[in-house]
Amino acid sequence: MITLGHFLALSAVLFAIGLFGVITRRNLIAVLMSVEILLNAAAIAFAATAAYKDPVFFSGQLFALFIMVVAAAELSIGFAILLNVFRHTGSAATDVVEEMRG
Amino acid sequence: MSVLGFAILAGLILAGALVVVLSENIVHAAVALAFTFFFIAGLYVLLGSPLLAVIQFAVNAAAIPILTLFIIMTTQSRRVRPAAGVFYLVAGVLAVVFLAGLWAYLGAPQEAFRPLSPEGLGARLLTVTLLPFEVASVLLLLAMVGAVVLARRREA
Repeated sequence: MITLGHFLALSAVLFAIGLFGVITRRNLIAVLMSVEILLNAAAIAFAATAAYKDPVFFSGQLFALFIMVVAAAELSIGFAILLNVFRHTGSAATDVVEEMRG
Repeated sequence: MSVLGFAILAGLILAGALVVVLSENIVHAAVALAFTFFFIAGLYVLLGSPLLAVIQFAVNAAAIPILTLFIIMTTQSRRVRPAAGVFYLVAGVLAVVFLAGLWAYLGAPQEAFRPLSPEGLGARLLTVTLLPFEVASVLLLLAMVGAVVLARRREA
Protein backbone atom coordinates (compact mmCIF):
# COMPACT_ATOMS: atom_id res chain seq x y z
CA MET A 1 0.00 0.00 0.00
CA ILE A 2 1.22 3.47 -0.86
CA THR A 3 1.31 5.93 1.96
CA LEU A 4 1.58 9.68 2.09
CA GLY A 5 5.23 9.19 3.01
CA HIS A 6 5.98 7.69 -0.40
CA PHE A 7 4.60 10.73 -2.20
CA LEU A 8 6.34 13.17 0.11
CA ALA A 9 9.63 11.29 -0.29
CA LEU A 10 9.29 11.46 -4.08
CA SER A 11 8.51 15.16 -3.82
CA ALA A 12 11.53 15.72 -1.59
CA VAL A 13 13.91 13.90 -3.95
CA LEU A 14 12.49 15.79 -6.92
CA PHE A 15 12.93 19.08 -5.06
CA ALA A 16 16.54 18.19 -4.23
CA ILE A 17 17.24 17.41 -7.90
CA GLY A 18 15.72 20.73 -8.95
CA LEU A 19 17.74 22.58 -6.32
CA PHE A 20 20.89 20.93 -7.62
CA GLY A 21 20.00 22.05 -11.13
CA VAL A 22 19.29 25.66 -10.14
CA ILE A 23 22.73 25.92 -8.54
CA THR A 24 24.85 24.05 -11.09
CA ARG A 25 23.30 25.18 -14.37
CA ARG A 26 24.97 28.06 -16.16
CA ASN A 27 22.38 28.62 -18.86
CA LEU A 28 19.34 30.73 -17.96
CA ILE A 29 16.99 28.41 -19.87
CA ALA A 30 18.26 25.42 -17.93
CA VAL A 31 17.90 27.32 -14.66
CA LEU A 32 14.26 28.12 -15.51
CA MET A 33 13.63 24.43 -16.32
CA SER A 34 15.06 23.48 -12.92
CA VAL A 35 12.76 26.01 -11.27
CA GLU A 36 9.87 24.28 -13.03
CA ILE A 37 10.96 21.01 -11.41
CA LEU A 38 11.01 22.73 -8.00
CA LEU A 39 7.47 24.06 -8.47
CA ASN A 40 6.18 20.67 -9.60
CA ALA A 41 7.75 18.96 -6.60
CA ALA A 42 5.86 21.39 -4.37
CA ALA A 43 2.63 20.76 -6.30
CA ILE A 44 3.01 16.98 -5.82
CA ALA A 45 3.44 17.49 -2.07
CA PHE A 46 0.33 19.70 -1.93
CA ALA A 47 -1.84 17.32 -3.98
CA ALA A 48 -0.71 14.23 -2.05
CA THR A 49 -1.26 15.86 1.33
CA ALA A 50 -4.71 16.96 0.22
CA ALA A 51 -5.60 13.46 -0.96
CA TYR A 52 -4.58 11.82 2.33
CA LYS A 53 -5.20 14.42 5.02
CA ASP A 54 -8.08 16.51 3.72
CA PRO A 55 -10.53 14.02 2.20
CA VAL A 56 -13.48 16.40 2.32
CA PHE A 57 -12.30 19.67 0.82
CA PHE A 58 -9.10 18.82 -1.09
CA SER A 59 -7.80 22.35 -0.61
CA GLY A 60 -4.26 21.24 -1.43
CA GLN A 61 -5.27 20.25 -4.93
CA LEU A 62 -6.52 23.77 -5.49
CA PHE A 63 -3.12 24.94 -4.27
CA ALA A 64 -1.49 22.66 -6.85
CA LEU A 65 -3.71 24.26 -9.50
CA PHE A 66 -2.60 27.75 -8.48
CA ILE A 67 1.02 26.60 -8.45
CA MET A 68 0.61 25.67 -12.12
CA VAL A 69 -0.85 29.11 -12.88
CA VAL A 70 2.03 30.88 -11.14
CA ALA A 71 4.55 28.58 -12.83
CA ALA A 72 3.18 29.45 -16.27
CA ALA A 73 3.24 33.19 -15.51
CA GLU A 74 6.76 32.97 -14.06
CA LEU A 75 8.04 31.05 -17.07
CA SER A 76 6.60 33.47 -19.65
CA ILE A 77 8.04 36.52 -17.88
CA GLY A 78 11.32 34.70 -17.32
CA PHE A 79 11.63 33.87 -21.01
CA ALA A 80 10.76 37.45 -22.01
CA ILE A 81 13.53 38.77 -19.76
CA LEU A 82 15.85 36.08 -21.14
CA LEU A 83 15.13 37.22 -24.68
CA ASN A 84 16.08 40.77 -23.68
CA VAL A 85 19.28 39.52 -22.06
CA PHE A 86 20.06 37.55 -25.21
CA ARG A 87 19.52 40.55 -27.48
CA HIS A 88 21.59 42.73 -25.20
CA THR A 89 24.55 40.41 -24.61
CA GLY A 90 24.28 37.76 -27.32
CA SER A 91 24.35 34.96 -24.81
CA ALA A 92 22.01 33.16 -22.42
CA ALA A 93 24.61 32.22 -19.84
CA THR A 94 24.09 33.21 -16.24
CA ASP A 95 27.43 34.96 -15.83
CA VAL A 96 26.75 37.58 -18.53
CA VAL A 97 24.05 39.09 -16.32
CA GLU A 98 26.12 41.27 -14.08
CA GLU A 99 24.38 44.60 -13.94
CA MET A 100 20.82 45.70 -13.31
CA ARG A 101 20.53 48.45 -15.86
CA GLY A 102 20.91 47.91 -19.55
CA MET B 1 -3.58 1.78 -5.72
CA SER B 2 -0.80 -0.32 -7.06
CA VAL B 3 2.64 -0.13 -5.54
CA LEU B 4 4.15 -1.23 -8.83
CA GLY B 5 2.56 1.63 -10.75
CA PHE B 6 3.80 4.15 -8.22
CA ALA B 7 7.32 2.68 -8.29
CA ILE B 8 7.50 2.79 -12.09
CA LEU B 9 6.16 6.35 -12.24
CA ALA B 10 8.49 7.53 -9.49
CA GLY B 11 11.49 5.96 -11.20
CA LEU B 12 10.62 7.55 -14.54
CA ILE B 13 10.00 10.96 -12.95
CA LEU B 14 13.32 10.92 -11.09
CA ALA B 15 15.22 9.67 -14.15
CA GLY B 16 13.67 12.42 -16.29
CA ALA B 17 14.47 15.08 -13.72
CA LEU B 18 18.08 13.90 -13.53
CA VAL B 19 18.39 14.16 -17.31
CA VAL B 20 16.96 17.70 -17.14
CA VAL B 21 19.49 18.70 -14.51
CA LEU B 22 22.58 16.88 -15.81
CA SER B 23 22.32 16.69 -19.60
CA GLU B 24 24.76 18.91 -21.46
CA ASN B 25 22.53 19.04 -24.51
CA ILE B 26 19.80 21.48 -23.58
CA VAL B 27 17.37 20.14 -26.19
CA HIS B 28 17.58 16.73 -24.51
CA ALA B 29 16.91 18.47 -21.20
CA ALA B 30 13.75 20.16 -22.55
CA VAL B 31 12.38 16.90 -23.98
CA ALA B 32 13.16 15.11 -20.71
CA LEU B 33 11.29 17.90 -18.91
CA ALA B 34 8.21 17.17 -21.04
CA PHE B 35 8.39 13.47 -20.17
CA THR B 36 8.91 14.21 -16.48
CA PHE B 37 5.79 16.39 -16.39
CA PHE B 38 3.85 13.77 -18.32
CA PHE B 39 4.67 11.14 -15.70
CA ILE B 40 3.78 13.59 -12.93
CA ALA B 41 0.34 13.79 -14.58
CA GLY B 42 0.18 10.00 -14.15
CA LEU B 43 0.99 10.54 -10.49
CA TYR B 44 -2.02 12.85 -10.18
CA VAL B 45 -4.20 10.10 -11.66
CA LEU B 46 -2.89 7.77 -8.93
CA LEU B 47 -3.81 10.46 -6.40
CA GLY B 48 -7.40 10.39 -7.61
CA SER B 49 -7.59 13.81 -9.24
CA PRO B 50 -8.05 13.45 -13.00
CA LEU B 51 -8.65 17.21 -13.33
CA LEU B 52 -5.17 18.03 -12.06
CA ALA B 53 -3.76 15.33 -14.35
CA VAL B 54 -5.41 16.82 -17.43
CA ILE B 55 -4.28 20.35 -16.58
CA GLN B 56 -0.77 19.10 -15.82
CA PHE B 57 -0.70 17.36 -19.19
CA ALA B 58 -2.03 20.33 -21.16
CA VAL B 59 -0.03 23.09 -19.49
CA ASN B 60 3.13 21.60 -18.05
CA ALA B 61 3.72 18.60 -20.29
CA ALA B 62 2.73 20.21 -23.59
CA ALA B 63 2.81 24.00 -23.56
CA ILE B 64 5.83 24.70 -21.39
CA PRO B 65 8.30 22.36 -23.17
CA ILE B 66 7.20 23.78 -26.54
CA LEU B 67 7.80 27.32 -25.28
CA THR B 68 11.14 26.20 -23.88
CA LEU B 69 12.17 24.66 -27.19
CA PHE B 70 11.17 27.86 -29.02
CA ILE B 71 13.39 29.88 -26.72
CA ILE B 72 16.25 27.38 -27.10
CA MET B 73 16.03 27.63 -30.88
CA THR B 74 15.75 31.43 -30.76
CA THR B 75 18.79 31.89 -28.57
CA GLN B 76 20.75 29.14 -30.36
CA SER B 77 22.05 27.73 -27.09
CA ARG B 78 22.18 24.03 -27.80
CA ARG B 79 24.94 23.11 -25.41
CA VAL B 80 25.58 24.10 -21.85
CA ARG B 81 29.04 24.67 -20.59
CA PRO B 82 29.54 22.68 -17.41
CA ALA B 83 29.77 24.73 -14.25
CA ALA B 84 32.87 24.91 -12.09
CA GLY B 85 33.43 21.95 -9.81
CA VAL B 86 32.86 23.97 -6.67
CA PHE B 87 29.30 24.64 -7.79
CA TYR B 88 28.67 20.91 -8.07
CA LEU B 89 30.12 20.43 -4.61
CA VAL B 90 27.98 23.19 -3.05
CA ALA B 91 24.85 22.03 -4.87
CA GLY B 92 25.40 18.39 -3.93
CA VAL B 93 25.95 19.22 -0.26
CA LEU B 94 22.89 21.51 -0.19
CA ALA B 95 20.67 18.94 -1.88
CA VAL B 96 21.81 16.14 0.45
CA VAL B 97 21.34 18.31 3.57
CA PHE B 98 17.88 19.35 2.41
CA LEU B 99 16.97 15.76 1.62
CA ALA B 100 18.23 14.48 4.97
CA GLY B 101 16.27 17.13 6.83
CA LEU B 102 13.08 16.38 4.97
CA TRP B 103 13.60 12.64 5.33
CA ALA B 104 14.01 12.94 9.07
CA TYR B 105 10.80 14.96 9.19
CA LEU B 106 8.74 12.50 7.15
CA GLY B 107 6.47 10.18 9.01
CA ALA B 108 4.57 7.36 7.35
CA PRO B 109 0.84 7.99 7.85
CA GLN B 110 -1.28 5.04 6.87
CA GLU B 111 -4.65 6.50 5.86
CA ALA B 112 -6.32 5.63 2.62
CA PHE B 113 -8.14 8.30 0.66
CA ARG B 114 -11.13 8.62 -1.58
CA PRO B 115 -10.88 10.62 -4.77
CA LEU B 116 -12.71 13.89 -5.25
CA SER B 117 -14.65 14.32 -8.46
CA PRO B 118 -13.65 17.04 -10.91
CA GLU B 119 -17.12 18.53 -10.36
CA GLY B 120 -16.43 18.90 -6.66
CA LEU B 121 -13.03 20.44 -7.30
CA GLY B 122 -14.49 22.89 -9.81
CA ALA B 123 -17.31 23.87 -7.47
CA ARG B 124 -14.84 24.54 -4.68
CA LEU B 125 -12.63 26.47 -7.07
CA LEU B 126 -15.47 28.85 -7.90
CA THR B 127 -16.90 29.25 -4.41
CA VAL B 128 -14.32 28.96 -1.61
CA THR B 129 -11.28 30.07 -3.62
CA LEU B 130 -13.09 32.55 -5.85
CA LEU B 131 -10.83 35.45 -4.87
CA PRO B 132 -7.55 33.59 -5.56
CA PHE B 133 -9.10 32.38 -8.80
CA GLU B 134 -9.77 35.95 -9.95
CA VAL B 135 -6.36 37.09 -8.74
CA ALA B 136 -4.81 34.24 -10.76
CA SER B 137 -6.64 35.40 -13.88
CA VAL B 138 -5.37 38.95 -13.38
CA LEU B 139 -1.88 37.53 -12.80
CA LEU B 140 -2.04 35.60 -16.06
CA LEU B 141 -3.23 38.69 -17.93
CA LEU B 142 -0.40 40.75 -16.41
CA ALA B 143 2.13 38.05 -17.30
CA MET B 144 0.86 37.93 -20.88
CA VAL B 145 0.95 41.70 -21.38
CA GLY B 146 4.26 41.95 -19.52
CA ALA B 147 5.85 39.26 -21.65
CA VAL B 148 4.69 40.96 -24.86
CA VAL B 149 6.00 44.35 -23.70
CA LEU B 150 9.31 42.92 -22.49
CA ALA B 151 9.99 40.77 -25.53
CA ARG B 152 8.97 43.10 -28.34
CA ARG B 153 11.61 44.61 -30.53
CA ARG B 154 12.19 48.27 -29.84
CA GLU B 155 12.54 50.52 -32.83
CA ALA B 156 15.97 52.05 -32.68
